[in-house]
Amino acid sequence: MPLVDANIQLSEVVESHSSLIPVLNRFGIKLGLGDKSVREICREYELDTDFFLTVINAFLNEEYFPERKLQSFHTSQIIDYLTKTNFYYLKFQLPNIERHLNSFISQSEPANQSLKLIGKFFASFKDELTARIEKDQRQWFPYCLGLSEKLQEKTAEQREPDLSLDAEEQGEDMIEALLADLKSIMIKHLSGTYDQNLCYAVIFSISSLEKDIKQHNRIRYRILVPMVSAMEHHVSIRNA
Amino acid sequence: MQRTKHIAIILSDTLQSTGLQSLIMDYFHPADISYYPDFTLFSKVASDHFDYYFTDAETFTINADFFLPRKMKACVLIHGKEIPSHSLTPYYIGIHAAQETIIEQMQHLFSVDSNPLPHEGNKELSARETDVLQLIVKGSTNKEIADKLNISLNTVLSHRKNITAKLGIKTVSGLTFYAIMNGVIAADDIEL
Repeated sequence: MPLVDANIQLSEVVESHSSLIPVLNRFGIKLGLGDKSVREICREYELDTDFFLTVINAFLNEEYFPERKLQSFHTSQIIDYLTKTNFYYLKFQLPNIERHLNSFISQSEPANQSLKLIGKFFASFKDELTARIEKDQRQWFPYCLGLSEKLQEKTAEQREPDLSLDAEEQGEDMIEALLADLKSIMIKHLSGTYDQNLCYAVIFSISSLEKDIKQHNRIRYRILVPMVSAMEHHVSIRNA
Repeated sequence: MQRTKHIAIILSDTLQSTGLQSLIMDYFHPADISYYPDFTLFSKVASDHFDYYFTDAETFTINADFFLPRKMKACVLIHGKEIPSHSLTPYYIGIHAAQETIIEQMQHLFSVDSNPLPHEGNKELSARETDVLQLIVKGSTNKEIADKLNISLNTVLSHRKNITAKLGIKTVSGLTFYAIMNGVIAADDIEL
């Protein structure tokens, strides 16, 4: 797919890729886009056009991920975006899956045990994701922002304990693995009588969260983590 | 996952070859395409590792020694609208045909798996793997599993790897679901 540029009319892009709508909402952009170009919309909402374009292009093209460019943005921009995606998962996507899942379970054959198990599986996934988001907001994001401010103050300070994500957290992402298993289990192992239409609604909402989280994780592990280790390195050199 | 097709195009006509490549990329992805303007250049490479060959009738006839034994993998481009009744190969593309027809002819060729994958291993779990699975979903650690089954830690790890590979399920929650659904374990045996 050709990359979106600043002169393209944003409504045209959204018409062919409606999955972009939550990403726009995250930047505060509302529908009713009219004929305005990406540049005009960014000016109106006071957004960094370059950052906005990089994020939506990476979201639309799984192959496209300009690491150097993304790392050139300010830490606070990256964290702001990740915070908004976290908020979106918590406030909208998780409740949305839950809503579909609950009616799926309640409107299917009550004796169907596999559906109840799926409900429990989802609950354990939800706990896992919620815990990660809480840790981000309480600990990790403030730590990253603190590092970046410290580098700007240009004064040597006491070095705080290293809070960067450990190797285990960066490797196989538990959240992605759980979502993939949940979807694959429904597709491969579902049995008994169930409401097919609601089942599709559940799988559809899981897939859209899966796509979003993959994108979030790419930014998290390949952009923010290297940025933070570079900053830690600078701070430690200065304090040496 | 679909396997990548290795395709050789041996055609002197650049536009024909470019057109073929673009149709293959659009409709028959994933494919790895090599292009040779004539047979001499083609024969200099390891010419036998391709899954499919595209060439013209002349090249096919002159090099029948090579193509005849491989005629189930070869597709010949022909000029006329009629299929030559003496056709040497079951697969051909009429270059003047409509795109829809050409795509159908290519589907016909690609539907024959020229190199079937070796039969995929048994996806059923072995008795030992089932034992390990039962303990995993009961929440045992690798060390506990090793002790209980009297096997080494490495053996436990390799069983776990095989279970994940066979079932395509990575997480404990997923394995638990599988175990209950398939009667490997009773639902009341574990706390969900």
